[in-house]
Amino acid sequence: MMGQLVQHYVLLSTVIFMIGAVGFLVRRNILVQLMSIELMLNAVNLALVAFNRQHQGNMNGHMFAFFIMAVAAAEAAVGLAILLAFYRLKGSVNSDEAETLKH
Amino acid sequence: MHALQKLFPPTEFALLAVILLLPLLGAIVNGVFGKRLGKEAVTTMALFAIGGSFVASLASFWLLASAQSAAHAKGSEEAVRFLWKGWEWVRISGRHDMAQLPLAIDFSYDALSGVMSLVVTGVGFLIHLYSTKYMDKDPSYHRFFAYLNLFIFSMLVLILGNSLPVLFVGWEGVGLCSYLLIGFWFDDEKNAAAGKKAFITNRIGDFGLIVAMALLVYYVGSLDWSGIEGGRSNLLTRVQMWPVGNQVPGTGFLQASMPSVAEALNRPRFVSAASLVGLALFLGCAGKSAQFPLYVWLPDAMAGPTPVSALIHAATMVTAGVYLVCRMAGVFVLSPAVMFTIALVGAGTALLAASIAFVQNDIKKVLAYSTVSQLGYMFLGVGVGAFSAGFFHVLTHAFFKACLFLAAGSVIYAMHKRIHDTDASQDMRNMGGMKKYMPKTFAAFAMAWVAIIGVPGTSGFFSKDEILFKAYTSSVAMPVAGGKIMDPRSGKVALELWGWPSWGPTVLYAMGVLGAVMTAFYMSRLVFGIFWGDFKGWKIVKGWKEPEHDEHHDDHHEHGPIEGPKPKESPWQITVPILILGALSIGAGFLNAHPVHIAPLDHFLEPVFKFANGAKDVAVAGGKGPGVALHPNAHGLMWPLMLPGLLALVAGAGGAFWVYVQQAGGPAKALAEKLPGLHALVYDKWRIDELYEETIIGAVDSLAEFAVVFDRIVVDGIVARVTAFIVAASGTGLRLIQTGHTQAYAAVMVVGVGGLGWFFVAPHAAATVKPDEASGSYQITAAPGLGYQYRWDSDGDGKPDSAEFGSQASLPVNLERGEQKTVVLEVKNAFERVSKKRVTLFRPKADASAGGPGVVQIEQGPDGQLRGVVPGQNKPIELRRPAPPPPGGPGALPVPPGLRMAPQPPGRPNPAEPHQHQPGDVH
Repeated sequence: MMGQLVQHYVLLSTVIFMIGAVGFLVRRNILVQLMSIELMLNAVNLALVAFNRQHQGNMNGHMFAFFIMAVAAAEAAVGLAILLAFYRLKGSVNSDEAETLKH
Repeated sequence: MHALQKLFPPTEFALLAVILLLPLLGAIVNGVFGKRLGKEAVTTMALFAIGGSFVASLASFWLLASAQSAAHAKGSEEAVRFLWKGWEWVRISGRHDMAQLPLAIDFSYDALSGVMSLVVTGVGFLIHLYSTKYMDKDPSYHRFFAYLNLFIFSMLVLILGNSLPVLFVGWEGVGLCSYLLIGFWFDDEKNAAAGKKAFITNRIGDFGLIVAMALLVYYVGSLDWSGIEGGRSNLLTRVQMWPVGNQVPGTGFLQASMPSVAEALNRPRFVSAASLVGLALFLGCAGKSAQFPLYVWLPDAMAGPTPVSALIHAATMVTAGVYLVCRMAGVFVLSPAVMFTIALVGAGTALLAASIAFVQNDIKKVLAYSTVSQLGYMFLGVGVGAFSAGFFHVLTHAFFKACLFLAAGSVIYAMHKRIHDTDASQDMRNMGGMKKYMPKTFAAFAMAWVAIIGVPGTSGFFSKDEILFKAYTSSVAMPVAGGKIMDPRSGKVALELWGWPSWGPTVLYAMGVLGAVMTAFYMSRLVFGIFWGDFKGWKIVKGWKEPEHDEHHDDHHEHGPIEGPKPKESPWQITVPILILGALSIGAGFLNAHPVHIAPLDHFLEPVFKFANGAKDVAVAGGKGPGVALHPNAHGLMWPLMLPGLLALVAGAGGAFWVYVQQAGGPAKALAEKLPGLHALVYDKWRIDELYEETIIGAVDSLAEFAVVFDRIVVDGIVARVTAFIVAASGTGLRLIQTGHTQAYAAVMVVGVGGLGWFFVAPHAAATVKPDEASGSYQITAAPGLGYQYRWDSDGDGKPDSAEFGSQASLPVNLERGEQKTVVLEVKNAFERVSKKRVTLFRPKADASAGGPGVVQIEQGPDGQLRGVVPGQNKPIELRRPAPPPPGGPGALPVPPGLRMAPQPPGRPNPAEPHQHQPGDVH
């Protein structure tokens, strides 16, 4: 019974993760890409918490989920700051224009 | 004294470290900090380093002398040797049947190295003192003393090393210092070239030394002195030199048409290993000690500062070759042919160099050729087996030649102060009458002069007379009749030694006497040229002008061109060392004055050379090995043989006096004008440099030119361009991938992570086999993995042993001899995926082929009978003792056909048995 439940959660997590990954690869708007990254991170959080159900008396999964939230917050702050700077520089949020590293 | 003896026991003689490390410290301090320390500090450091080393040498020598006399009083004839063990450097593998040979950084101190280290540090100290004034004005003062101290250190390593590799380190070290000091004034192209020439010529000799070491490792299995002495009889084996391989290449077709020619070409020729080692060692000695044909570097080495010429190129480094021959005397005497070669090369070099010295005008060049010639004398001495005589000449030569060079340096110093031109201040034609101006220098020079020409009572007389005497009376003889050494097992001739020709001693003696005449002549010419007659150097004073013969001339100018300062005597730092060395050149003869029966040095060195005299410890079937033998009437010949030597002195010195003093050089000029071709030839040193230039250097140059063309066309033209094209093309291709779009990179990453995920989801069956062929039990172990479960099919019938997967990760399998088996392993991972692997095992038969090697263990049964047992089989093999003992000696047991005797316990891997299986081998 419990295994079935976990399977559903993991399936949901995979779907959310794939949506995030495809969104990151397909969309060109950096803002949307950042949101896709958030989706992927939260999908992982969901998977971790779901798996933790199988290991009763052990809170490692929850702990990792909190770590990921903290990292995601930092990531969002830095990512948005870069986005703002990039917009001031190029007047656009299209990630195709961020190709200075090529040269 | 007791305190010193207690502090430095013979087996841990740490005083050697003091002797060695003080000069090294001096070299490091002066080399690294010398410029900032200033001249005073550099002088103090250098003199303290070498002086301290000298004091430590004196103490060591005293300890050695007392230890040796104590041993002698007990009746021991063994040479006393103090050891100081450093550390083990490396281990090298020698011959296949030999254990690894450790090369240790050990130093030892015996009579030979003791005397030598006293000379090096003592004469070295005097020359350091001399240099403080001679090099006074040089801007690279500190660099000079750093090199000089480094040289002393290297030379001491050479002398005190307890094995050939350590000696070789010192050998190369002195070569390096020689190079650095010859090219000390390297801004002059000529000096740098001379340094290079010395270095490269020495490299040729060093090659011989390396070859000799390799041969000694192979034949003797040891490189330290006592090991070589102990194992040197192994050198009396023959080595096939010709043909290389089975037959001379290309003679195969001659077999049919001209069999006799083919046979003559293919007839094997042998030399003894001792000859090979001796020749290779002598090549090294000839390089370092400037013997024919490698002597050419030494005269050019005079480009260095004069103290360097005195220290390195006269007194110490160039005698290293003689030292090595003395050190390896036990090896050299085993080959009469090599000893004769050494004596002949020595005598020949003595004559050749003396003839060149006849006509040179540069006073340092004359002394350089004189050094080559005297080194030839030393090799003549050691070549005839008179090791202590040759070594005694090293000692006396160190005194009188160092004195001559330093006194010549004093003259050059005085001349240079007036002329400021290096070449002109060394030219004998600008000198003359110097004894008026430089009385102390003259006194020292004269003392060394009478020593080198062999005036009775001086050191040179005793050492040269001893060498000439021994050249006639001493030779290397073979106590075995005809030099045939028998193989004790087969009874056949194992080695045939080459014996000395009967004319050998006479010819060597005659060459020696002729050399003595020439030495007396050219040395007297040098002395008369510098110190007698009128001073001829006025005209070349800088700024001096030819007196103008105009109407205003006065009487002062008419009396000749006497302008500029007179040559002045040198300061005390220069005159004191040369006077000390001069006194030693006169007095040192009584260390080994055989004609008057005072020979403490000979007595002192006797234990070191003991094993060379007669080679008694080298026992071979049918007698003893070769060794030094004296003329039966040697004692009676001592005084008669002295007469030609004295006549040589009178003829040489008297002739020079007549030619250069009484006739003021007239006859010499007349002779040179009469035979201009010969004079030019000798003046150009027999054009041997030019010969080398045309042949060897020319060949190397053309090889280099070919290499340049090859480099330009093949390496630069083809190889480099192809490589550059490949790199450029792949760069162009890879640039297409690098788009700069973050999403493209992210997509590649997603694909990679997916691939990795797929790899981890799939199971991987892998196994290692641990074989034990002796017992037949094989162990198969499956590789571990996350969540893996295993299932085995141990009989290979396609059906697993059990339907369920389990945790059994390894499977033992027992095999009979010659049996083959296939095992299947199945692995299931957490995702329920299964992977399969087939492992084929094979155990080889006891004997790979019938009649091949196996192992028999010989046991003694309770009844005292011997039995043979094949390990793993329980059947004893009957052993019989045959009636007549086989040639291999008693105790040899007949072995059943097809079985090999091996006195080793079972279970030890037999190297002859082929290994089909290695650990981890999977079929």
